[in-house]
Amino acid sequence: MADVNILGIACNWSPYCCYNAAGQAGLALPANFRLLRVMCIGRINQALILRAFEHGADGVIVLECEDADCRYGPGPEVGHTNVARVRQLLRYLGIGQERLVERTFQADQRDAFVAVIHDFAARIADLGPNPANPRQERVA
Amino acid sequence: MELNAPEIKRIIKDCSLYLCQECGKCSASCPRFLSGREYSPRLLAQKLISQPGDRAYIETAIWECLSCGRCEERCPSNVQFTRFIREMRAILAADQGLMGHQAHDGALHSWMRIMTAPELRQDRLDWLTPDLKTDATSEVAFFSGCAPYFDVFFAGLRVDTLRTARDSIRLLNFLEITPQVLANERCCGHDLLWSGDVENFAALARLNHQEFRDRGVKEIVTACPECFQALGAHLSRVAPGSDLKVTFLLDLVEREVKKGGVSFRPFPRRVTYQDPCRLGRMSGRYQGPRDLMALIPGLDLQEMANHRQGSICCGNSAFLGCDAYSKRVQVERLQQARETGAELIVTACPKCLIHTTCALRDPVRGEPWNLEPVGLVSLLAEHIQWSPGETPLRD
Repeated sequence: MADVNILGIACNWSPYCCYNAAGQAGLALPANFRLLRVMCIGRINQALILRAFEHGADGVIVLECEDADCRYGPGPEVGHTNVARVRQLLRYLGIGQERLVERTFQADQRDAFVAVIHDFAARIADLGPNPANPRQERVA
Repeated sequence: MELNAPEIKRIIKDCSLYLCQECGKCSASCPRFLSGREYSPRLLAQKLISQPGDRAYIETAIWECLSCGRCEERCPSNVQFTRFIREMRAILAADQGLMGHQAHDGALHSWMRIMTAPELRQDRLDWLTPDLKTDATSEVAFFSGCAPYFDVFFAGLRVDTLRTARDSIRLLNFLEITPQVLANERCCGHDLLWSGDVENFAALARLNHQEFRDRGVKEIVTACPECFQALGAHLSRVAPGSDLKVTFLLDLVEREVKKGGVSFRPFPRRVTYQDPCRLGRMSGRYQGPRDLMALIPGLDLQEMANHRQGSICCGNSAFLGCDAYSKRVQVERLQQARETGAELIVTACPKCLIHTTCALRDPVRGEPWNLEPVGLVSLLAEHIQWSPGETPLRD
């Protein structure tokens, strides 16, 4: 599993609560999983997700609040649109849309959060490295 | 690299910057200057030659240029300003990793660089509808460029870039040409080339060269002036031995239509035409698109105040540095278009189509423009017909 990189892009609110709670409870996340915390998924755009793949991510999971829980308004909906478009771009590119998924969480779904990350990491490990084979060096 | 380094002196000399007479026609014709930005090609040349220590001014000016070539058109000393900008950007990118301010946060440049991975097997042809005839053994390939990618990325703008791609194949099919459409063609690299990323431009060009060769392609037909310029004028510089024939679709249509037997159904609408910089000033094609439009009965072409060699940029090039001045260039352009009384603004470049659509659909603007953008290829494909009594020749 160490030869693939998984990036999570998490909203600071509900998903990060789950991540934080998992850490406090000592629940293990995959060693090849890294988290990028943003204030709201509505803040990120198609470019940021694409850049993760350009720079060596083998899988990206976008971790959002539920639509009704957004602190700012339409954040998760912006996320749904961006993820749908980038998935289509990834399909055209031959990277494969299954390497980008989005999941929504409520703030108290710590165990579900951990299970989702393990499940995604296992699926990306099965798929193997991103065929875009970026020039950037991989961290072993 | 210092800005007085020999490599930069070479660029100054090769691009004839020493011949600048400081007449200022360049500044007076620059769309950025006309939109209120204190932008001066003349001053940039002067600074680089006599005050190379003023890096901040020089670098900003190099990245801000639209590379539309309007200054070059008027320059009495034949200074090659756009080539100068392109070569200087390559130096700034290689030397300092500078890439300018990329529009859309660099998403387009990202997918262009992703395409440099040799192992990539794209899955990009789902837009081919059953009525479009293609043939994987054809020596002629239609190069669809980034059209499928734009269609997804710019879905929010409601700009249908695939319409041009489909209508291009319809036109070719009508003219009894069955092209192949390559599943694994890469971006032509135009935007990387003009963003200074010559390394990745060359990687794309070599992969395309290899793909064309593997697929038995002798001739590429493209409907995009940027692909036409990148594949036609720049690919052979980095892919030696390429004897690829690159044809601009409208040239081909014009040639075939002039053979006779073809006419167009009436389209009684008033239109105006946006000359794309890569098609007009860089490829010298001003009359061809106008001749084709003149063949459509009822179509009333009204020129904007600035047209042909004097045409004004659609607002952006290579997806670099789109800012408030770009917007003002676009608004100025749309006002010119509206003054012609046209209902449609016709263009022959997917980028002009995207940028014009973006400006037209500005949600902040209160009043509607009452203008719609349309690609010339679509206009032709939707109205072409065999003249009464004529039938297509079959081989």
